[in-house]
Amino acid sequence: MKASRPAPPKVAINWLMATLVLIALPHFLHLPAWLSIIFLAVMGWRLMNSLRGWPLPEHHLLLRAVHLLLAIIAVVLVISQYGMTIARDAGVALLTVLLAFKLLETRDIRDYYLSCFLGFFLIATQFFFQQSMLIVLLMMVNVLLLTSCMISVNDASSSIRQRLKTSGVLLLQATPMMLLLFVLFPRVPGPLWGVANDYVEVADSMPSRMTLSGLPSLSQGQTGISEAMQVGRISDQVQSDAIAFRVRFADNTIPPNQILYWRGPVLWHTDGEQWQPLATDTQPSQPEISFDEQHRIDYTVTLERHNQQWLFALDLPDSLPQGINAAMNSEGSLISSEVIRKRSQFNLSSVPDYQFNARHEPLLNYALELPDDQHPQARQLAQQLRTQYPEKTDYVQAVLNYFAEQPFYYTLSPPLLSGDVIDSFLFESRHGFCEHYAASFTVLMRAAGIPARVVIGYQGGDVNSVDQILTVRQRDAHAWTEIWLDEQGWIRVDPTSAVASERILSGIRGLLPSERRMPRAFADSPELENLWQQLREHWEAVNNAWELWVVGYDPTRQLELLRKLGMKQPDWRSMAQWLTIGMLLIFIALAWLTLRHKTQRDSVAEAYLDFCRRLSKSGVSINPAEGPMTLAQKAAQQLPEAAADIQAITSDYLAVRYQQQPDKAARFIEKVRHFKPRSHAR
Amino acid sequence: MAQGSIHAILDQLNHIILGKPQAVKLALSCLLARGHLLIEDVPGVGKTTLAHALASTLGLSFQRVQFTSDMLPADIIGVSVYDREQSVFSFHRGPIFCQLLLADEINRASPRTQSALLEAMEEQQVTVEGEAMPLKDPFFVIATQNPTHQIGTFPLPESQLDRFLMRIAIGYPDAQAEHDLLKGEDRRHLLQHLSSQLSVSELLNLQQRVNQLTASDQLIHYVQALLNYTRESGRFVSGLSPRAGLGLVRAAKAWACIDGRDFVLPEDVQSVLPSVVEHRLQLTDNSLQADWLSEMLQTVPIPR
Repeated sequence: MKASRPAPPKVAINWLMATLVLIALPHFLHLPAWLSIIFLAVMGWRLMNSLRGWPLPEHHLLLRAVHLLLAIIAVVLVISQYGMTIARDAGVALLTVLLAFKLLETRDIRDYYLSCFLGFFLIATQFFFQQSMLIVLLMMVNVLLLTSCMISVNDASSSIRQRLKTSGVLLLQATPMMLLLFVLFPRVPGPLWGVANDYVEVADSMPSRMTLSGLPSLSQGQTGISEAMQVGRISDQVQSDAIAFRVRFADNTIPPNQILYWRGPVLWHTDGEQWQPLATDTQPSQPEISFDEQHRIDYTVTLERHNQQWLFALDLPDSLPQGINAAMNSEGSLISSEVIRKRSQFNLSSVPDYQFNARHEPLLNYALELPDDQHPQARQLAQQLRTQYPEKTDYVQAVLNYFAEQPFYYTLSPPLLSGDVIDSFLFESRHGFCEHYAASFTVLMRAAGIPARVVIGYQGGDVNSVDQILTVRQRDAHAWTEIWLDEQGWIRVDPTSAVASERILSGIRGLLPSERRMPRAFADSPELENLWQQLREHWEAVNNAWELWVVGYDPTRQLELLRKLGMKQPDWRSMAQWLTIGMLLIFIALAWLTLRHKTQRDSVAEAYLDFCRRLSKSGVSINPAEGPMTLAQKAAQQLPEAAADIQAITSDYLAVRYQQQPDKAARFIEKVRHFKPRSHAR
Repeated sequence: MAQGSIHAILDQLNHIILGKPQAVKLALSCLLARGHLLIEDVPGVGKTTLAHALASTLGLSFQRVQFTSDMLPADIIGVSVYDREQSVFSFHRGPIFCQLLLADEINRASPRTQSALLEAMEEQQVTVEGEAMPLKDPFFVIATQNPTHQIGTFPLPESQLDRFLMRIAIGYPDAQAEHDLLKGEDRRHLLQHLSSQLSVSELLNLQQRVNQLTASDQLIHYVQALLNYTRESGRFVSGLSPRAGLGLVRAAKAWACIDGRDFVLPEDVQSVLPSVVEHRLQLTDNSLQADWLSEMLQTVPIPR
């Protein structure tokens, strides 16, 4: 049988219980409810023991059986929920529930420490699920509390404030080491965890088909623009605040909103309802574009994971992006060589004034295709206007005028369309948003013999006045049209601007219902509204920095930072060197601080502790709550050869400490230094 | 001389109260620390005998009052009686005007009588008809009480328990002591033949010396740590008061003095702590108080 160790004080147990519940709390969001209930029930049992003295499993054979049975049930439930493969979710579920059981059978100090360490582990698992700044703050609080638990088990007499203070000081001392390791520890490319689950989620939300008549589709996927753009999807994305990408412009000069067209894929084929891109093999290799190089805009894009190959660039990039492997197709869209599975960053330059005039007959033919026997009314309107305006530019303007003058409305929640969707939009419902206008405008162009294609991407974005970063969200998703004019090449025409110019001039935010943006109380006064706006922008700036520099601190970022810090050739070897040097420096600094503190503080206490240590090595048990006289008598009994020394040292110690004879301190310290109890320990 | 007389006192007391050196030493240190003593135990274990022996050994004038439920404050303090011959009221002093008052079964008296006594203990004087009359010096009260759950008792309220420096129990004697007791002389007889080991002035000197004993900063820190523990561990309804802290230091000093030292050690504090604090603390649950006090002594580290 193992020797019985001292039981942890009740205060420490209660403290640990509260901390563990706090740690497990965020996990309840994704754990199955029954698991959370088992966790809380087991905790409740322990709590009732603490409050009312309910028996624990160790007290009764029957309870021990119940305990074991409950634990087995929990494990079986976990397996039945997640299957036999131990992946992220199953592992965390198992850890959570078994931790509760461990606490129930925590009897001595060793069990207590084990529970604490499991608690630290449980804190770390939270990052499998979330890595936001708030979660990190919460986890830091948890680390603080759990550390103070370990303090409470050693010093039950300390007050809560003292415990938290000690724990805070400990963690503060560990902070330089943490920062050093974060910056210098060689990074592994790609996310370390959560990979498998993430891919499953994405695969689930990939669109299969798209239909215009199905508007508005109610699927709530937020994965960004998909390759075969489903028109209804944009409607959902309009409502989504999820970030698509962030842009930092060189010199922090933000171009006006009306030229912020972020180009994505180009759609050609239509069956009347769906629009799809060209098959890859039909495309010529390189576009021919001439740029007016005077107005070049340099910027850096940080693209969120969207599981497609598209890169979004300001219309139109004049070079390939740096920092990522990509190519430009004949439509002027950038395609990465790999699917964007993690946040990626690249530098780009774009020129808003360009001539996209490479004539390619097969492409122009594609751009005239319309499904047979569809859109009769639209075709009729096109014929009628074309005869009226024989000049192509006049015709384009006439169609735009038609949108502007007829009662068309821009709305984010258009009615459902049936039958011939283009005709019923143009002549019946007349309520729609960008993709309705882009699609019907393109049809009207093609019907009049003008080659046209749909471009999808994003328009606008929010500028944060604090860090000058432009954030483009899913709700900024947009669709527009490009038409071919022989003299000018492909030019951009945005029919939506004819209907709702404010969408283009000031961004989509003005069109969203206002309560989505700020609490109602703030909307009443302009000052409060201003304040709210500022708070929001500061928060986003901090969050941006967090996402880019902490969560997104990958090998590329690391190299970038280390170069900035002056390392010429950062590789793992030099990193390891610097890591070692840094750790040594931190250790030396901490040691110096502590030692200096100690010599200043109390050499007598140090010497007495030294005396205790020497006795303890000789087999005398030391209890810090035991008086010096008691200890001396006990030690003298156990070590008769050293009895005289022990008595002499103790009497000097008593003289210094309890008889106010500080002049004996030096003699006492000297005696302790020469004290060598004959070892009785085997 | 002092150390010798303390030994003689202890010897004499232990000769009367057999097998209870710890209780005897606590009682003596309570008196040396100028504190009043409460002895709580079942009838017949020698409470009165101990009080009596203390009075005789220390050479103090002794009064014994058996408390009953119909007792009035005047029965303790005294009454003014009209003297027909001299046509004035003259005050007839009650039993409280003595050096050692044994208040037997104090919890049988009504709260009114109890509080009259306890007030006198605190002030060391009584006020009769607007005139303050000092009590004798030294003045001790040794009160005995039966465990409060017995029938017909008025338990002392906490505020009044606080007036007693210590509460001790005597307990049954062990087999050997009981054997000697049963076989030996009649205790009452023995008590009558006790000689006083100390003059009153010597006793006052001794008390003075106790007061001047060294309690170093280190020791005060330890006492503070103990006080903090009772305040912050959450085990007790309310922590110890500064008055309790003062009492703890005084009692520890007396204990150290009995042990022949002129400085106080943490061990002294530990020895007197249960008797000094037990009656001032109330647990938040109904577990055993003694357990918690010994755990406190086992966990609160002594400043090095």
